[in-house]
Amino acid sequence: MKKNYFKENKIEHIDYKDVETLKKFLTPHARVQSRKRSGVPSVDQRSLAEAIKRARFLGLLPYVSR
Amino acid sequence: MQVYETGYLILPSIPEDGLSAVVDKIKGLITKEGGNIFDGEEPMKIDLAYTMSKTVGASRYVVNEAYLGWVKFEMEPAQAVSLKDSLDKVDEVLRVLLVKAPRETYFTFAKAQAALEEKEAQEEAAKEEAEVVVE
Repeated sequence: MKKNYFKENKIEHIDYKDVETLKKFLTPHARVQSRKRSGVPSVDQRSLAEAIKRARFLGLLPYVSR
Repeated sequence: MQVYETGYLILPSIPEDGLSAVVDKIKGLITKEGGNIFDGEEPMKIDLAYTMSKTVGASRYVVNEAYLGWVKFEMEPAQAVSLKDSLDKVDEVLRVLLVKAPRETYFTFAKAQAALEEKEAQEEAAKEEAEVVVE
C-alpha cells in the first residue's frame, strides 16, 4: 500500500519555499527520489519535482551533494 | 488576471537598513506593470546551498549567503513577461523566480518557524515526562 505524504500531512500546495518537506524527497546525492521510493501520486510527483527545481534555482536546495 | 509569486535573492553586500529600499524598488516595478500586491514576506538572510555569482558592471560578486524574500500579486499575463525582464535588470538582486501561484497562501516562513518551535517544545515536554516516569 502506497502512502501519500502530502494527503496525510494536509499539504494542499507543494511550495518551493517549504524546504523541510522537499528535503524528505531527495536522495543522499540530492537527486529527486524516484516515484517508486517517494510513493506519492503522479500529479504530486510532478509538482514535487517542479518545486524542488525551483528551490534549487533560489539556492534553498543543492543541485549535487556528496 | 493571473496570480503570480516572485521569490527573489538580494545581494548580501546591501546593508540591513538598505533592504527596504530594494524591496520597494521590486514592488514599484510590479505596480508599474499594473500588478496588485496582496501578500509577501520581508527578506531575511539565508545560507545558500551552493555558491552563486553575479556580475554588475565591472565587479563580480561571488556569494554564499543572500537575503530571500517573496511577493504575491495578480497581473495580466502579457505584463508578466516584461516584468520578468525588468526584475532581472535590478542590480541589487541576485536572482528572481517568477511563477504562477494559487491565490491562498499555504506556506510562509513565519508559519514554518512557529511549527518548528512548537514541535521542539512538545519534544521537550515529552522528554521531561519520560524522566518523571523513570523516577
